[in-house]
Amino acid sequence: MGKTIKIGPFHPELEESVYFKLVADKNSIVQEVEIVNGFIHRGMESLVTNRNFMQNLILTERVCSLCSNNHPFTFVMAVEKIANIKVPSRAEALRVVADEIKRAASNLFNLAMLSHLTHSYELMKDTLETREYLQDLKETIWGNRMDMSVNLFTGVKYDLDAKKVVHILEKLNLAIPKIKELQKRFENDEIIKQRCVGVGILPTEKALEIGVTGPVARGSGINNDVRVKAPYSLYALRPELQPRTKPRNGCDVLSRAMARFDDIIEAVRIIKDLLSDLPRGKTYLEKRPHIPEGEAVVRTEAPRGELIYYLKTDGSQKPIRMRWKVPTYTNWEALKVMILGDKVENVTIILNSIDPCISCTER
Amino acid sequence: MNKLKPKLFRINTGSCNGCDVEFLATALVDKFQFHKLEVEIAEEISQANLLVITGPLTARSEPFLKSYINKLSEPYVVVGIGTCSITSGIFRDSYAINGPTDKVIDVDINISGCPPRPQSIAEGIAKGVAILNQKVQNVNISKQMDTILQGFEAPKSFRGKINLHANLCTACRTCETVCPSGAINITKIGDKYEHKVWHNTCCFCGNCVFFCPTGAIYNTNDFDTAKHQDEKYSDTNISYIKTDNCSSCNKRYKKPTTGLLKKAYINDDINKLNNNLCPECRKKENFTRMYL
Repeated sequence: MGKTIKIGPFHPELEESVYFKLVADKNSIVQEVEIVNGFIHRGMESLVTNRNFMQNLILTERVCSLCSNNHPFTFVMAVEKIANIKVPSRAEALRVVADEIKRAASNLFNLAMLSHLTHSYELMKDTLETREYLQDLKETIWGNRMDMSVNLFTGVKYDLDAKKVVHILEKLNLAIPKIKELQKRFENDEIIKQRCVGVGILPTEKALEIGVTGPVARGSGINNDVRVKAPYSLYALRPELQPRTKPRNGCDVLSRAMARFDDIIEAVRIIKDLLSDLPRGKTYLEKRPHIPEGEAVVRTEAPRGELIYYLKTDGSQKPIRMRWKVPTYTNWEALKVMILGDKVENVTIILNSIDPCISCTER
Repeated sequence: MNKLKPKLFRINTGSCNGCDVEFLATALVDKFQFHKLEVEIAEEISQANLLVITGPLTARSEPFLKSYINKLSEPYVVVGIGTCSITSGIFRDSYAINGPTDKVIDVDINISGCPPRPQSIAEGIAKGVAILNQKVQNVNISKQMDTILQGFEAPKSFRGKINLHANLCTACRTCETVCPSGAINITKIGDKYEHKVWHNTCCFCGNCVFFCPTGAIYNTNDFDTAKHQDEKYSDTNISYIKTDNCSSCNKRYKKPTTGLLKKAYINDDINKLNNNLCPECRKKENFTRMYL
């Protein structure tokens, strides 16, 4: 006879509200899994059609605060595609700088949560302390620790002078050795090994079948990074910036964590490369451009994987339709493969390993 | 003196993650002084006496929140983190939102911010703990509370509470238009314009600052946002924008500011402009000067 276990919806180990109904056998092996969601549904698709484009710059940022730069980034790219606007190259560079900083910070937070769930107290503290370098940086350069409010149609809202560039490089140079040290520690830590190696297996064939993206795919030996497969913005103009990460083949929780570390190191490399040779010119063309009638689909690589925006406008001040396909939408399906046949105590670790962004998915 | 050990339980009622992430950072990073408060994280809601709520309260989580609240035992304190939990903020007009939180439960402390700085969160929790102790000892709860945690500073560039240079503002309503959460309101009262910013629904995005044509509205780096529930509606920034008398018809009108005139007349000396006339009189005056 199976034992039914309920986790959630509000639980100290769950960062966001979600409800698991598990059926486990005598040995606490999960036999059935049902995931109940919808707790974070805020009616975003309706809200964006009731706000004008300038308001939507901020509203899209609040879809999810962990990838809060990628949403407006993709949104402005869709608008620019409709209005046929060419963005100054300095603005493109500044967008990518902001994007990669967010990517590094978001992945570091996920890794901190992983060490939190495995009760590796020291490791978690050090990961969060390392993340603080990036958080402080975001606060001093952009003014907020999470929502940077960077993107604008035709460009960006901020600019970097020589002093700020030096400041960013100084902070990054402090953070890089710490990140590399952390990666070694995660790889060799006994508790992490015990809890993460061979846990939450997602075989490569299954990963392809479900269509997972981002670090989850890279942990299962597939590299479908949008920045490489369908480069956009500056990644298209300067291919040497594209991330050179190699996928990991472990297919387990640790491989996904390592894929995240690879992403962080590449993100920092991209920022350093860009800042050493920042294009000159304008940071934006006009504050409030006219947005004509049209439709556009744009995809980018968010910290969690592929993000797709569909936008339809009719020449008025408000969009008439906006649709998202967020990375967690596909990665979520993989959870059922990962959790089935694993232990009940591992469920929260496995959930964390896809870095779920439920607020993106349920909107 | 009997003291209760504060046991904290966090409930996410539909937040965008920001407040939850920053709450965890506050709780786990030493520099935010959270450990000084000796707060324990409760495993079960029934043990908790310090309830932390984030998010705008979605329709889906409302019944669950209610059932969790029923499991609480007195005395307890409720701290709302983030603009969403106070006023539902940017998501207020949505069909899927049943919030804000104070419709369902009596909130004690509100921490405004999107997300609030960890320093503000720590301060808010500290105030929550103070109120909890007051409730245990059955003393009257003081509405005005001093800052408890000391030594926090914000960088100059931090986007904090909004303020206005009233002499630069032309009441053009750009800030009202671009504000995503409806925090700014300009109304005409008598012969003045009242410019009101409600900090508890502001999402501190700086959109108004960026789009303002005259540079009148600005972010201060003030992050003192952990306030008692009684101050929910009074924590505002109100400025008055003066109007002038037209020198010809004596009607009240809003004179363009020097900032705006400098933008319009890049190559001219704006002191020589005939700028004491209302728009109608100026039209007449200019027509007479140029064509008659």
